[in-house]
Amino acid sequence: MNRAFARFAYRLLLSLHPASFQDEFGTEMLWIFDEEYSQGGAAYMFLDGAISLLRQCSRIEKDPGQLSIASGEIITGPGIGPVRLLQAGITTSLIFFSLMWLASHPSPWTLSVRWSDRVPCYTITLQAPSHAEVVLESTP
Amino acid sequence: MKSESTKSRPLSSATLHILLALAGGNLHGYGIIKEVTRNSDGHYRLGPGTLYDNLKKLMDAGLVADAATSSSSKRKPVSSKEDDRRFYTLTKDGKNALAAEVDRLQGVVREAKLRLQEARTGKA
Repeated sequence: MNRAFARFAYRLLLSLHPASFQDEFGTEMLWIFDEEYSQGGAAYMFLDGAISLLRQCSRIEKDPGQLSIASGEIITGPGIGPVRLLQAGITTSLIFFSLMWLASHPSPWTLSVRWSDRVPCYTITLQAPSHAEVVLESTP
Repeated sequence: MKSESTKSRPLSSATLHILLALAGGNLHGYGIIKEVTRNSDGHYRLGPGTLYDNLKKLMDAGLVADAATSSSSKRKPVSSKEDDRRFYTLTKDGKNALAAEVDRLQGVVREAKLRLQEARTGKA
């Protein structure tokens, strides 16, 4: 596995941990990951990180409080679980990288918003240069 | 007070290894991992997730403290790279908890030896 990619994936795993845990130990965990990676222990680090995440999440489920997902903080409810946390982490990362990609590339899409005269609804059309269209229409 | 609850229950393997590593002196996280590997002849491997998860619990229980905030800290970093690393130290309660666990384990070993001896003499 590429070192930079492995480090990024481990950081992503760390970002799913509660904010207080990250603040206290995140930097040191990443440092240990760097040291151990050079000795070929990446797979074990990921497994250990995932188990640690599950432990932290189960502790939060017993004692709901604040935790961080990627860049922000959310208030957890008693029903939030590791799977939902992972989903939220992946979704947040995808949105973040999509926005970064869009910001760094000139958009080939043209956006048009059209209001209907007869019924109270609007249509948003995203048109690509290849004439493919994505139409979002509100219900009246 | 905090150590009372720890005394009544056996320590987990990870907790025991961490306390044992810190009994030799203040160490940073990676130092603890290395020390645990050395103490167990490489049979027990501690990952950073398990280490810091347990360290947090031990710090909350008052058995381990940040060496920088502890007055008993006397260890100096051995290299400039270690300057910004956080060192951990065993508190008085931590030493007591480790001693209690060692006593408990000695009791287990004593009992095990006795039973094995009985089993041998019973066979003979």
